[in-house]
Amino acid sequence: MNKQRAKKPFMFAVALLSAFSLLAASCSSDDGEATKTTNADGEEVKEINVAIVDNGAMDSIEKLTPKFTEETGITVNYSFFEEQNLREIVTRDVSSESDQFDVVMIGPYEAPQFGTAGLLTDLSAEEFAGGDEDYNLDDLVDPVREALSADGKLYAAPFYAESSFVMYREDLLEAAGQEMPDAPTWDEVAAIARAVDSEDVAGICLRGKPGWGDLGASFTTVLNTFGGTWWEANADGSIGEAQVDQPEFKEALEFYVDLVQDAGQNDAANASFPECRTLYEEGKVAMWYDATVAAGFLEADDSPVAGKNGFAQAPVKATDSSGWLWSWALAIPEANENKEIAWEYVSWVTSSEYIELAATELEGGWAAAPPGTRKSLYENEEYLAAAETFAARTLESISSADPDNPGTTPRPGVGGVQFVSVPEFQAVATRCTEEFSEVIADSKDIDEALANCQEIASEATVEQ
Amino acid sequence: MLKRVKEYLLSGFTWLIALIFFFPVFWMFLNSFKTNAEASGDPKLFFSPTLEQFREVINPKFWATFSDSFIIVIISTFFVMLLAIPTAYALAIKPIKKWKDVLFFFISTKFLPPVAGIIPIYILADTFNLLNSRTVLVILYTAMNLPLAVWMLNSFFREVPKELIEAAKIDGASIWSQITSVIMPIVAPGLAATALLCFIFAWNEFFFALQLNLIDNQTVPVWVKQSISTRDQFIAELSAASTLATLPVIIAGWAAQKKMIRGLSMGAIK
Amino acid sequence: MKLKEKWLSLDGWIRRLPLLPALIFTIVVTQIPFVLSIYYSLTNWTIFPRNSDLVWFENYIDLLDDRFFKTAAWVSITMTVSAVLISVVVGTFFAILLNRKFFGQGLARTLIITPFLVMPVVAALIWKTQFLGFDFGLLNTILGTIGIDRIEFASRFPFWSVVVTLVWQWTPFMMLIILAGLQSQSSSILEAAKVDGASSRSTFLQITVPHLKPYFELGTLLGVIYLSQVFDHIEIITGGNESTKNAPYYIYQKAFIDNSYGSGSSYSVVVVIASIIIATFGIRLLSGLLADNEGA
Repeated sequence: MNKQRAKKPFMFAVALLSAFSLLAASCSSDDGEATKTTNADGEEVKEINVAIVDNGAMDSIEKLTPKFTEETGITVNYSFFEEQNLREIVTRDVSSESDQFDVVMIGPYEAPQFGTAGLLTDLSAEEFAGGDEDYNLDDLVDPVREALSADGKLYAAPFYAESSFVMYREDLLEAAGQEMPDAPTWDEVAAIARAVDSEDVAGICLRGKPGWGDLGASFTTVLNTFGGTWWEANADGSIGEAQVDQPEFKEALEFYVDLVQDAGQNDAANASFPECRTLYEEGKVAMWYDATVAAGFLEADDSPVAGKNGFAQAPVKATDSSGWLWSWALAIPEANENKEIAWEYVSWVTSSEYIELAATELEGGWAAAPPGTRKSLYENEEYLAAAETFAARTLESISSADPDNPGTTPRPGVGGVQFVSVPEFQAVATRCTEEFSEVIADSKDIDEALANCQEIASEATVEQ
Repeated sequence: MLKRVKEYLLSGFTWLIALIFFFPVFWMFLNSFKTNAEASGDPKLFFSPTLEQFREVINPKFWATFSDSFIIVIISTFFVMLLAIPTAYALAIKPIKKWKDVLFFFISTKFLPPVAGIIPIYILADTFNLLNSRTVLVILYTAMNLPLAVWMLNSFFREVPKELIEAAKIDGASIWSQITSVIMPIVAPGLAATALLCFIFAWNEFFFALQLNLIDNQTVPVWVKQSISTRDQFIAELSAASTLATLPVIIAGWAAQKKMIRGLSMGAIK
Repeated sequence: MKLKEKWLSLDGWIRRLPLLPALIFTIVVTQIPFVLSIYYSLTNWTIFPRNSDLVWFENYIDLLDDRFFKTAAWVSITMTVSAVLISVVVGTFFAILLNRKFFGQGLARTLIITPFLVMPVVAALIWKTQFLGFDFGLLNTILGTIGIDRIEFASRFPFWSVVVTLVWQWTPFMMLIILAGLQSQSSSILEAAKVDGASSRSTFLQITVPHLKPYFELGTLLGVIYLSQVFDHIEIITGGNESTKNAPYYIYQKAFIDNSYGSGSSYSVVVVIASIIIATFGIRLLSGLLADNEGA
């Protein structure tokens, strides 16, 4: 019994000791510095941390980066995040200047806002793209470049860009005796959708999922071309009165909801890009209004609907164009201490050489090359051959987008098509699209949703 | 005879329920072997399986991520049990005067929503240079699971008959040997259940792991979530990642439920 | 004199000693962030655009006017209560079934636990796309085959879609607790009852059920705490529908989409205070949990 009693405290001590050594082992991990500039041997180690959206298009970046590391000796650590998480993390990292990331992926929503707030590096300056002939700033498609700039300074380099347009099954429309004009109006598109709609195949797929980048994007383009807007703009560009209670807003929302309910896909309130894509590919919808990048998927070799698609301009009503404008682009926080290395990486991945590399080395070939950023891509023979059916239309859509004046009235903020470029827009549009989505699902009255949204939007109005 | 038939029927019924309940997880396993397009379309029970999803998700970070998760979860669960067992003793066997208040305090630490807690915790972690480390998650998960363990062990310890403790004390046993030789054998099922739950909560914890370890020492749930894309169809890929992520916990579950077998004879000790 | 004696009594400190490590650790790790949260709630801290002035109780006053938050609070309550009640009932049912010895019980038990082992995000996605989905979901495919109209589950029944997924995931949690409770019954007492000729039904009602009372209550308490903080299922299955947006989701939007940390912290402090009040009442009701031990 005495021996037994002696064992216990001993075992206890052993356990405690092993616990502490485990803990010590766990402590010896990295402490999150943004870049290690010298390693244990005192050699210079070039390493950068990049925050990227987890999006099918980004696969290519990871696969091709080893080439970059070979050439330049710079190691790139990628952190992939889903869009919503990426936004939160980047916003926090950039605005609190905590410099965890050397390069962050953002879009035309954040770039001008962060840029004017002095949080991002001016990439058009001499020491970056401004002084780099090879980079060829002027090759960037103009609206894309403008959307990522403020006061003429480029704050993020575009990786790919997109607008929106109508994709449709030529065979199904023909069978129903319908013809899609090149530049349709929303009334025309609605009529075609209602005519083609049947039990098995819905007329059109439209986004209905809550979120400012989901339903918010599609709906805002409709809102713009119906002559409506979210807020008035004050003279200094700040947010004026909320315009959700205006007749144009209701007209746009009613139109959208009615179209989805009459001729749209089932379970619309839960549908966004991936869902509509599946439905379209499975032949369950005849038309689809969404991002131009979808064309690349639909016309891919292994797509079940390859070769059956037509593409038309984003439908309009009171404006000349209505397609949205978005780009995933790379920015360098102003607080970053390794801008040279960061820029070497950014300029590589957004160059036309990269596009060529992606087209020749990756499976998708030229058709899957990152689209929409450079004019030279749209003069490239090989690209035009591979992306015959949609290349011209895509460029047209992007070029006709006008972020500074997307609708019929001035907007607050620094320019955007499917969003309003003010910080408040995120939260307001998210909550409002939740309301609108419920209207689509037929579980809320449209007037109640509009009243709620007006209340929410009014909270953002700057008091004079 | 009738009794045996009843027994078989009951067992059969139990199995039926188990299978139905398990079915969605089984479906997830099934999806891991489909292509993304197959998984998003009409549901198929029969298809030609492929390992392409597993190849996709087992990226270079895979092993590091799994081992990080293991280390973090096992160490934090170990600490939780180490701290909670004596605490339960002080609350259940030889209760201190304010035991109710102490229990309440412990559970009240779980009232602050993590979305609020993350902000000061991020700042504190940054201050102490603990971002992107395993240590910060070990500390957090221990604090996160401790209230659960304290409350559960408190309930289980209360089952131990006073007479046994008294007998051990008379024999001159210290607190620690009372715990190890008398209490632990009796509460073994409860201990197993508690340790398993701590393991599960720590293993699947996503929010803090994402926000604090953005660059380095990422854990399995963060790795799984990277298979979710806003543009692509991803269910098959996600299913594959999630299948891999669930395997260690299933093994832990199997081990724990083995301990939960009645018949640990309290009568025999008497 | 007497109080001082009590305080300084060695016996008292020896009793307290075993729990001090856990207590001190918990206080340090959880209370410092909480105090900081209170501080932030008194400011108008937003991270973009940058702002951080002390505004004292302005956030709290705005909160009182916020009718959307009141809806969220109500959703928190109804969702939590529904999910907890149903999973306790189903979990107990499973625990009783699994408490017997039968062929392959280890495997059956492990299978029933698996829903709880899957990451919440993944579980929610599987349910949403693979089961509740309209065009390609399994439930609807079955309905279609037997000739019933398909149902848009997540759009038409957002609240119950979320609750079903939650119950599916959390029933094993309840089952584990109740099962451990069943296991901890004294076999001598059960045997004695058999010897005395009691039917299994009356043994169950008169011995087992009272024995399980503190475990029911433990499961309920823990279930309420965890289920009230559910987030992923709501986001994925309904994307923030008014009927499913609970308090944590609302706070998340304030803090991370609106970037208002100050405002978000004030809502969190209110949630903590409300939880303390509810818990105090609740625990008083759940008498089994904090009952004094016979002969402490």
